[in-house]
Amino acid sequence: MEKKHIVYIILGLLGVVFPFLVTSDYYLHLVIIALMWVVIGSSWNLLAGYTGQVSFGHAMFFGIGAYTAGIFMTKLEISAWWGMAFGGIVAMLIGLFVGWVCFRLRGPYFALATLAGGEIFRLIATNWESLTDGMVGILIIQTFRSKLPYYYIALALAFLCIFVIHVIMKTKWGYYFVSIREDQDAAESLGINTTRYKNISLLVSSFFTGMAGAFYMNYMGFIDPHVVFSLHYISIMAILVGIVGGVATIMGPAVGAFIMVGLQETFRSAFFGLAPSWTSEAHALVFGLLVIFVILFLPNGVVGDWLKIKRNVFRVGASS
Amino acid sequence: MKRYALIVFSVVCIMGIMTLGASPAAAVKIGIVLPLTGAEAKFGEIEKRSFEMAVEEINKQGGIKGEKIELLIEDDTGRPEVGRSVAEKLINKDKVVMLGGGYSSSVTYAVAGVAQQNRIPFLVNTGAADKITTSGWDYVFRLNPPASEYAGAIESLLTEVIKPQTVVILHENSLFGTSAAQAFEKTCEKLGYKVLLKQGYEAGGIDFKPVLISVKKLNPDIIYMVSYIMDASLLMKQSKELKLTPKMFIGGAAGFTMPEFRKNAGVASEKVISATLWYQNLKYPGAMQYFKNYKAKYKDDTEYHGAEAYAAAQIIADTLNRAKSFKPEDIKQALSETYAMTVFGPVKFISYDKFKNQNKLPTYVVQWIDGKLELVWPSDIATKKFAYPVDWMKTWKYTR
Repeated sequence: MEKKHIVYIILGLLGVVFPFLVTSDYYLHLVIIALMWVVIGSSWNLLAGYTGQVSFGHAMFFGIGAYTAGIFMTKLEISAWWGMAFGGIVAMLIGLFVGWVCFRLRGPYFALATLAGGEIFRLIATNWESLTDGMVGILIIQTFRSKLPYYYIALALAFLCIFVIHVIMKTKWGYYFVSIREDQDAAESLGINTTRYKNISLLVSSFFTGMAGAFYMNYMGFIDPHVVFSLHYISIMAILVGIVGGVATIMGPAVGAFIMVGLQETFRSAFFGLAPSWTSEAHALVFGLLVIFVILFLPNGVVGDWLKIKRNVFRVGASS
Repeated sequence: MKRYALIVFSVVCIMGIMTLGASPAAAVKIGIVLPLTGAEAKFGEIEKRSFEMAVEEINKQGGIKGEKIELLIEDDTGRPEVGRSVAEKLINKDKVVMLGGGYSSSVTYAVAGVAQQNRIPFLVNTGAADKITTSGWDYVFRLNPPASEYAGAIESLLTEVIKPQTVVILHENSLFGTSAAQAFEKTCEKLGYKVLLKQGYEAGGIDFKPVLISVKKLNPDIIYMVSYIMDASLLMKQSKELKLTPKMFIGGAAGFTMPEFRKNAGVASEKVISATLWYQNLKYPGAMQYFKNYKAKYKDDTEYHGAEAYAAAQIIADTLNRAKSFKPEDIKQALSETYAMTVFGPVKFISYDKFKNQNKLPTYVVQWIDGKLELVWPSDIATKKFAYPVDWMKTWKYTR
């Protein structure tokens, strides 16, 4: 057995026993949110990192998933948990349409189209009041009061997502994706139907993001268009999770998700109440500076540039 | 292998630290959720200051049954999901005995859901959308009237003085904006005024000219606006630039009573009227005192949002004093039996129509006259006569 596998097993076990080590609902909540971001970040990474099709509109799929689950509950009176499956599927259908329109073009069209797509769906959700209740939002009462079930669902979803992407990247599809990213013409000349494989990548990505959205609806119990279709808090955050963690690495987005959620909460709560309260007033600023730092000095993300970090941080520490 | 053991060890250590960190309770902890950053930060600030001022005074007088009140004021950044995690943190990690605050309706609504689910009493002092107290939640109490009742005094002013025929309603696309606009539309229908246009605009918008130009074409008698701060100022500034002159500009509370509205809109704020829930001259014990103390302490004016927060702190102290213990059920019981006087008026939580645990209060109309916010309606308690009709071109200092 390789060392790498042992680490994965330990991580997995740690994930399973985590709620028994940390009983505070508050930390559990943060970890659940981080796990949700693992799913979104990994899905974004499959499309943008591996296939090279940068999406600026993952909020579109996230929001559609969330709204599918919410509308299931409020309009059809079907448990929002069904939304977990259908949220993914509906998001996939929208993804199919977006891909069908955009992937025959190259260059920045896809990025721009997804950017617009997210905003379009936000406006639809805001104005189609008979279906979505507009800005009033959708509120459901959660199934479980305890956080444990949500934790394990999020954990399972995150593992499933990473596992599926891991497997895909080992198969022919994975190589096709990377070849499209590296050189679309060369890939085409080798007989790869680039449009189809870009679409496949998008479908997988949108499916998992939609599921994460449906999970969000189930877990948080409240959504409104500004929350789930937010360009800033969902689409850009998905990109940051991927970039900070490491683009085109399997574990990168997972690490990125924990870093981003952790940092955000640390600053918002002024270092958990330990630092003076003015630090929380500056949180947006400090957070922005940190992101700039990562992009400047660790362009491949924490996982991608891990060797660099080890070299610079640990060796300096040892010699001094 | 050693290295991995080290990693695992450090992860376990971090988890251990995370489980600790709860400080020993020396005071009664109250969690307050307010927007301290983001677009609504100004409202959060005025409320935070008022809460702190009130609690300082309460603690000076001996606190609650010998214990001091400790406020844990947390930033919700104006986003419902952050509000939600803040509430969970306050309840689960900090073990607060009750929650207060709640500025924007969407955040308040999300926080109320958490409070109800965790069975922790939540005293709302600003979040106004009707839905917050019509959801049948018994742990949620609201000090301020629901948004649909904000225009109560405006209504009598309209029927008795302005007598408009046509109305345009502009509102921010938010839970508060939408529900207040819907309520005002119903009021207009009831009074037989024709609503020519009801238009929502995006939060954070800065260019209102396209919509204002179409409003100018419709030439309504009155324009009713439900806005927060920046949008309120910009709406008025751009109306001035377009020389849009209805009989009256009416604000549906929120942004229109804030000192920042005057600062940002300048002369364009002049003679604009707004619904309000409070004025310092009202004959409530301590109202004027609070207004003066606030001004002395923070060198700035306060208005109804601040009074709401101050009164909420008074109610919290009153409730905790009467509660049998600091257990959530006892506090909830005490809250439901509240009958107290505050700077914001008498407070009593009743259930009527669809509402549950809702305080009922009269509303007022204020007008910006010579740069000061004056109470103009009801006329028997007014501090200045309602300036009407208004020659807008002269007010805005245009020379013809």
